[in-house]
Amino acid sequence: MRFPLSISSLLASSLLLSPASASSGYHEQLNLRPLPLSNLLASFNFRSNTSLADFESQNFRLFPRSLGQILQYAGTRELHLRFTLGRWDAENWGARPWDGTREGGTGVELWAWLDAETDEEADAKWLTLTNALSGLFCASLNFIDETRTIRPVVSFQAEGDHPNTTLANAKLLHGVLPHEVVCTENLTPFLKLLPCKGKAGIGSLLDGHKLFDASFQSMAIDVRPVCPSGGECLLEVEQTIDMVLDISRSKRPRDNLIPRPIQGHELVCDTSKSYHSDSVCFPVDHLQSQEWTLEQVFGKSIKGACPLTEPGVPPVCVEVPHSRSIFASEGSTEIKSQDSASRCYDVASEGDFNLVLTQLDASSGDKELVEPEQPLLYADRSFTGYGQEHGGVQAILTNPGDEEVEFVYMESLPWFMRVYLHTLSTRISAASSIPTTSAETSAEIIKEIYYRPALDRERGTQLELLLRIPPKSTVFLTYDFEKSILRYTEYPPDANRGFDVAAAVITTLSPRKMNIRTTSLLLYLPTPDFSMPYNVIIFTSTAIALSFGGLYNILVRQIVGADEGFESPVKSKLKRFLAVITRRLTG
Amino acid sequence: MAPPPSGPTQEDTASSAAASESPAPAAPAIKAPPPETPTAIRRRSYIVLSFWLLVVFLGLPFWWKTTTIYRADLPLDRMLEWADGKACRPAIPIQIAVHADSLQEEEANHLVRLAQHAIDDLNDFSGHHLRLQLAPRQDRPRESEQNPNSALSIHLKPGDATTAALDPYRAALDITYPLNSVPPLHSASSMLTTYIATELRSTFAEEQSIVSYLLSSSPTSKPAGLSPAVVEALEKRATRALRYAPTYHLTFSLFTDGPAPTTWDIDTAINEYMKPLLDVLGPIHNFTIDTQVQLYATPGVQSQTLTKDDLASFINAAEWPLSPSIGGAPTINFLTFIGNQTIGFPDSEGQTSQSWMIPQWGTVYLLSQPDTNSHVTKDALRQPMLTFGGHLLTLLGTPQSGSLPLRLSSLSRIRSADLLLRASDALGSLARLSRSLPSIAIPRNVADGVAKSIRHLEEACAGLGSSEALYHARIAEEEAERAFFEKSMVGQLYFPDEHKIAVYLPLLGPVTVPLVMGAIKEIKRLLQARKQRAQEAKDKKSQ
Repeated sequence: MRFPLSISSLLASSLLLSPASASSGYHEQLNLRPLPLSNLLASFNFRSNTSLADFESQNFRLFPRSLGQILQYAGTRELHLRFTLGRWDAENWGARPWDGTREGGTGVELWAWLDAETDEEADAKWLTLTNALSGLFCASLNFIDETRTIRPVVSFQAEGDHPNTTLANAKLLHGVLPHEVVCTENLTPFLKLLPCKGKAGIGSLLDGHKLFDASFQSMAIDVRPVCPSGGECLLEVEQTIDMVLDISRSKRPRDNLIPRPIQGHELVCDTSKSYHSDSVCFPVDHLQSQEWTLEQVFGKSIKGACPLTEPGVPPVCVEVPHSRSIFASEGSTEIKSQDSASRCYDVASEGDFNLVLTQLDASSGDKELVEPEQPLLYADRSFTGYGQEHGGVQAILTNPGDEEVEFVYMESLPWFMRVYLHTLSTRISAASSIPTTSAETSAEIIKEIYYRPALDRERGTQLELLLRIPPKSTVFLTYDFEKSILRYTEYPPDANRGFDVAAAVITTLSPRKMNIRTTSLLLYLPTPDFSMPYNVIIFTSTAIALSFGGLYNILVRQIVGADEGFESPVKSKLKRFLAVITRRLTG
Repeated sequence: MAPPPSGPTQEDTASSAAASESPAPAAPAIKAPPPETPTAIRRRSYIVLSFWLLVVFLGLPFWWKTTTIYRADLPLDRMLEWADGKACRPAIPIQIAVHADSLQEEEANHLVRLAQHAIDDLNDFSGHHLRLQLAPRQDRPRESEQNPNSALSIHLKPGDATTAALDPYRAALDITYPLNSVPPLHSASSMLTTYIATELRSTFAEEQSIVSYLLSSSPTSKPAGLSPAVVEALEKRATRALRYAPTYHLTFSLFTDGPAPTTWDIDTAINEYMKPLLDVLGPIHNFTIDTQVQLYATPGVQSQTLTKDDLASFINAAEWPLSPSIGGAPTINFLTFIGNQTIGFPDSEGQTSQSWMIPQWGTVYLLSQPDTNSHVTKDALRQPMLTFGGHLLTLLGTPQSGSLPLRLSSLSRIRSADLLLRASDALGSLARLSRSLPSIAIPRNVADGVAKSIRHLEEACAGLGSSEALYHARIAEEEAERAFFEKSMVGQLYFPDEHKIAVYLPLLGPVTVPLVMGAIKEIKRLLQARKQRAQEAKDKKSQ
């Protein structure tokens, strides 16, 4: 199943609708979910498709032509492209949207199945693909060279419906650019791919100012063939944007962006605190529900429905308890779901659409938002150690649930981080007070290792580990590495900033499939003084010149006694001069 | 205190040169150095010499080898000859087959000869010849005209009056003549031959002026006598046409301001109205096609009536996804914009038009359609498609006059001449570049490309006018361009001399000073010794 039972029943229910109506062409949906601490998750999902026959004959209608051409030219069977910025705060926000399958590590991540008989052919096509996508999305994807490309073995599975023969001939390549800063110039081409271009429908809410101001944002493009049972095969492109907005920051007016301290009389204080008085205040406004409207949060309202969408799929859904009242613009219809946790809105084709979520009366005791679901795993990764020569990596993987979790932990490390695989070790500790047998060795936690060592300047390390974590326990995965010294020209202009190490990708296999990515790391390598080459030239030249001059002179000169030989002309002149002066002075 | 050199010194003291020139006692405190032995002097010479030998025979070659830039040998003179038009005088012979089955063999031969004379008299441009040839007589003349080398066939038929008509479907000129106008065997000229000559000349007039324009824009050949108006028209044609490519990519786009229409019958429309034309063009160009529909595409100009200035900014390049195809083939855009805008002409009131061509880019057609219609039918696309077809020929640089087969065959001749000149030009630029930048690296493959280009140029020049010429000229141009735009040549283009000095001076300065000083001293000593020996010999002689 492509979309396993999701965070919310709503997502699942709306997605379950999709296979039946997949042929009608275009589908878009915005899902709004308030998160704790006055955050708001907005998940935009756009899906358009074309029949494979139309794709082959290059008749593009809803499928973007620019992307379609690239796919054909590079022989791509399935493509996944991610632009991500920020960090998903799993502790507060719970499980990730789409089970983490629609997000990437910080920066840009790309993986694709390419039609190729040999690895060389796959490399050539990969080069074409990255270069073309780099031009299309204004991103530095062309810097994904062989040192940043790996061929994952167990972490990624094709999502589309491929005939067995084509998948056998397809090669999976995966590349990451953790250093890439995702920005407006990536959003503009992203919007251009949409049939309604961000001029109508939910796409009209997307605006670079708000999107890149978010605490976490992820843009995803997935292209895959879909074969509905008994129907013609389709090529589907799915574009997803997830963003977590800080509501109070987003509500700041455009003309007054500088945050200013709240006036004393506007402060909302926690009166239950013992120290609360007129002069002491414990502010609770960030804990309290706020009133907000779509227009306030996104800076604009939805400009009518996109006319291409199939009827029956409401374009806007909000996940809040039914007890919270929401006002929508005229002409829209509200559809409440059965489970009292979400409602959807059909948007009129003309006119602006806006939503107003009212402030909840704190005294009523009603729930303000749907509790976030607990994720399967929490993952954290950091550097350990000190100094410029050696370092270590520690990944802390916590299973908060009651079920054993089996997953693949994948790292794609740069070649200048030389991993000592023999130092790979795991340590388990029970998170709670439940006594566990801590005798579990790493052999029992790590089931399988797939390791492809790095070659200097040719390829990076690929490390895939199959792990199993018992319920309610934490695994510490550590390994050491050595920092290598780069060549002079291999340092980037901002060498002292450090080098980004791509996020680790965690794919859980059981009890259900989901993805988690850690944050990326900043590796500090020994950095030379960049005026060094000239200093070296001068220094060695001087040394050579000195030794050469000395040697040459010793070989060539005639050696005589100190009292022998001619007096040097300078010395004799100087003597004469001194003699004249002394005579003048004395005489 | 170091002891004076001992050993073999004692035996030579009496006769040594040092002894003879005992120093003047300037400073009595300092003893005179002990005389140097000849072995020591000889040893010093050897040391100085060996250092210099090392520097000259090991150091310099090593330095030269490691710092020199690889420059492959280019046939510079040959390349410049091509660029100056000295290597090849482009001349396009055009074979014309004359079918005169109704005439006697001798009569026909005579007629052809006379007509050829008449043509030669009319022709004032050497780059373009018409060659008449009597086609072999056959019972079924329809099949004989398959001769691939003849650009045109003339069918002479007896009739009531002298008329000429171009066959719209074949490269053929049908001429009818009254029986009495056939020149008798010994006459020097006749009405009919002059008529044939002028008719042929007017048929090929445009091609001839294009070719002479092409050749005149190359430096050596003098511009032929073309009127300014003709030159202007030819320039227009040259700026409109795309550069030659074996394959073109055609993009048909439907753009609309709002949400409708969302579908169009483009597949059938292309098959019906476009395919026949593309098939005809097949021998010269290949075409790949894609189509797209784009909604909510706001044009760059909002006004209802578009003026001439508006047309330039109508295409909203920032927002419309009209990126060229990535396959390497140049893209020609055919854009249908659904909207009720019209193009207004300031001078002619009321007259409007629907489409305009953007030179070297494509065509825009404004198609008005009711807003409610969400589908564009094949019939609605008929007019846009026919317009696109016409504009495609212009964009490819096809001559305007004549029947279609004739226009296409002259297109291929013009293209080969054009490519030939372009390739020669690229070779010339490369040769000049290589001469003017002595420090530029020239890799091996550039030399290979140049050699290949010249070889194909020669073949193209020899066979100009035939169908292989286009093929050879195409390869020659490709190779010449590739050689000129070789990436690795640009990288090390600028390596300033200041950097070299900064790197070499600290090393070479301190090393060369003692070496040079030692060499000077040694040479001085040698000269002195020789002088002395000569003096001694003289003394001996005089004694």
